[in-house]
Amino acid sequence: MCAPDHSKNINRVGLFSYLIVEKKISLNINGINVSARPGLTILEAARENGIDIPTLCHIPDLLPIGACRLCVVEVAGSRTLVGSCHTPIAEGMVIQTHSPKVIATRRVLVELMLASHPDACLICDKANICELRRIAADLEVGLPRFRARKHYFPVEDENDRMVRDMSKCVQCRRCVMACKSQSGQPLFSMAYRGFDSKVIYGNDQPLDRDACRDCDACIEICPSGALRKPRKPGEERADKALFIKG
Amino acid sequence: MTSKRVKKPSQERAELVERLKEAQRHHGCVSEEVIAALAESLAIPVHEVYGVASFYSFLTTRPLGRNVILVCKSLPCHLKGAEMIMEAVAKELGIGPGETTADGRFSFELTNCIGLCDHAPAMLINQDPHLDLTPEKIKQILKSYK
Ligand code: SF4
Ligand code: SF4
Ligand code: FES
Ligand code: FES
Repeated sequence: MCAPDHSKNINRVGLFSYLIVEKKISLNINGINVSARPGLTILEAARENGIDIPTLCHIPDLLPIGACRLCVVEVAGSRTLVGSCHTPIAEGMVIQTHSPKVIATRRVLVELMLASHPDACLICDKANICELRRIAADLEVGLPRFRARKHYFPVEDENDRMVRDMSKCVQCRRCVMACKSQSGQPLFSMAYRGFDSKVIYGNDQPLDRDACRDCDACIEICPSGALRKPRKPGEERADKALFIKG
Repeated sequence: MTSKRVKKPSQERAELVERLKEAQRHHGCVSEEVIAALAESLAIPVHEVYGVASFYSFLTTRPLGRNVILVCKSLPCHLKGAEMIMEAVAKELGIGPGETTADGRFSFELTNCIGLCDHAPAMLINQDPHLDLTPEKIKQILKSYK
């Protein structure tokens, strides 16, 4: 593997920041003064300091995707909320990760995702390990107020290694980023536009068994029930049941 | 791995949209064969070419009829009753959006904003703008396209 070209991403990816011999950046998160290495994102700096920010599309150590917006935080002086997973820290930043405005925004985002999501948790194979459901529970989002059209795409289960149910996809693009197929290239892309957007393979066709490495990277990283292994009758579900209060 | 992902878009990727437009002009559509050929010549995966082609309303993956109707479906037109225009076109031609009449005279497509919002609802037929539409106007307009 070729040596990474640090000059380009030194300011973006925390991964490489250990190479810079520079003094730490001091910032204020939720009223607490902390210091962090230059090159970290707000999300990384917060997590290093024990503050958790919910994320749906972020994959540690890969380039930020910035699709889900759940990681938004308030930064003093910024007109809008900023995505913490892709915003580098700067000297003197004053950040609020759980202010009322931030929480309200995150709730609406999850509500919107659920509004177009099939009401299928009860029979969903990944219900007990579903990140979307867990985040909704954490944020105490109940039934969505919005009456939106549901996404509907036929389930793609032609492949005996993977079932793709794009009606449940939240378009986080994690699978697009994570896939390293036989050819070393991701097998998926976003296609179409607006409400019709969808993650596709090829010319929007069922996934080719031979192109896929069967590594399950995409299935494991998918935060919803959109990608899963076909389950044989009688086979146990992954993980323990996820009980949700409220 | 990470360094690969931050690489600037390659020259090939920068060319993609132009090449797709050219293909649309030449072949009348960006068919699966065209996509496969483009993917090969630019060394971009097929799904990525398809992803870009399917994003733009002015590119289609199926062959079109002699006259192409593009009714705008974006918000300003929607608020000014684009739905009624679509219904009128569908009724007049007996086909829905994304279809072509059996005689090949018309293809009926929807498009994103075409910059004619000040005269919403609007549509294009073969690049001719038709403005301030009402369902009543549709019959007359369609008549002038053979
Ligand atoms: S299982 Fe592995 S190779 Fe197959 S699509 Fe998922 S990430 Fe790509
Ligand atoms: S299939 Fe899963 S991982 Fe891929 S974009 Fe949809 S929700 Fe995200
Ligand atoms: S985690 Fe930051 S936008 Fe999704
Ligand atoms: S919204 Fe229809 S032309 Fe702009």
